[in-house]
Amino acid sequence: MTEKIMRRLVIKSFHIRKLEFGERNSIKDNTLTINKSTLLELEQNEDLIEEIRIDIIHPDKYDKFVNSIMDIIPISTKVLGEIGEGVTHTLTGVYIMLTGIDTEGKQIAEFGSSEGILNEQMIFNKAGTPSKEDYIIHLDIILKGGIPFERKLPLTAHKVCDNFIQVFREILKVKNGRDADYSHEFHDKVKKGKKKVLIIKQIAGQGAMSDNNILSEEPNGLVGGKSIIDMENIPIILSPNEYRDGALRAMT
Amino acid sequence: MGIGPSTKETTLHHFRDPLLDVVSKDEDIDLLGIMMVGTPQDNKSKYFVGKRAAQWIEAMRADGAIISVDAWGNSHVDYANTIEEIGKRDIPVVGLSFIGTQAKFVVSNKYMDTIVDFNKSKQGVETEVVGENNANYFDSKKALAFLKLKMKKKEGAK
Repeated sequence: MTEKIMRRLVIKSFHIRKLEFGERNSIKDNTLTINKSTLLELEQNEDLIEEIRIDIIHPDKYDKFVNSIMDIIPISTKVLGEIGEGVTHTLTGVYIMLTGIDTEGKQIAEFGSSEGILNEQMIFNKAGTPSKEDYIIHLDIILKGGIPFERKLPLTAHKVCDNFIQVFREILKVKNGRDADYSHEFHDKVKKGKKKVLIIKQIAGQGAMSDNNILSEEPNGLVGGKSIIDMENIPIILSPNEYRDGALRAMT
Repeated sequence: MGIGPSTKETTLHHFRDPLLDVVSKDEDIDLLGIMMVGTPQDNKSKYFVGKRAAQWIEAMRADGAIISVDAWGNSHVDYANTIEEIGKRDIPVVGLSFIGTQAKFVVSNKYMDTIVDFNKSKQGVETEVVGENNANYFDSKKALAFLKLKMKKKEGAK
């Protein structure tokens, strides 16, 4: 078999063993520190937002009420190159959980909401969910009430969440790659003479919440990406490395 | 019904998608890429994007396709149509979907003979529990095995 390597992607992960609130936002010695006042600035920049609440959920301490779970997002950033090639830094051991409600008590969910005790509302240790050894940064977005449910509401919640993550992306970007706990290398390959197969992901692209953002500037990000709704749901193709480098941000 | 918490794929799921992992690691498969196709509101647009997807696959001279869907109900209209368009072009296709007891296909066709159901709840319904009904490694391996069989059968029929 002749194999041709098209592109190379390296994902380096930094493992977080301790998560805490403190005076400065930092990632140091496997500890992630969050300065809560960062949220106040983000809050003031958005008219639709009443309040952003943040909580650190310790591994296996999931006996907590949460509003409808909008997404689980890894913290990743591009260090070299664009999405799909070059070098990406990502955090393991900690994930963002985005939840939302409005001031009138309406859950930010279009079809069935997932609010309740976290232990019962999420199956852990799946591809799309944290494991029971992971920390969760819980961002709970309180939107202003009395506004008809439309696209701009969940979009705003995702936007402030992305802006919050960006603060940590900037820190993660300048980490020395040699200090990473793990490094994974992926190649986009053409395997001549083998069966040519395409994976198709049919993704939700209608309604206020059923949206997907493709190819933002940062892995698993929002800013600079294109919405599948805005692209009128026309099929678009990603390389395997683009997809595994966080080209798709689920807005549901 | 559309997409709910127990069938939605989170951003983290896409970042470490088992389906991509299984297919890209298989030495017998030359993975062409991952196609994203959305779900427009009206039927005319649904048929439009499904046909474009299939035409693209034909143009790529693909030997086969695996199509996965992150919702059910209304989204199954798009799903069935895209599968039919691919099937009509004589390209082997295997599907992955949440079905259970709740999401029987609203429309169906003869090309939907190999669909892997990734319902995980005992009741077979949308449970509103995040991460409960997503395709895992086993579902993905099953889908790829089915596709390999279909592609082999097609080769034998020549």
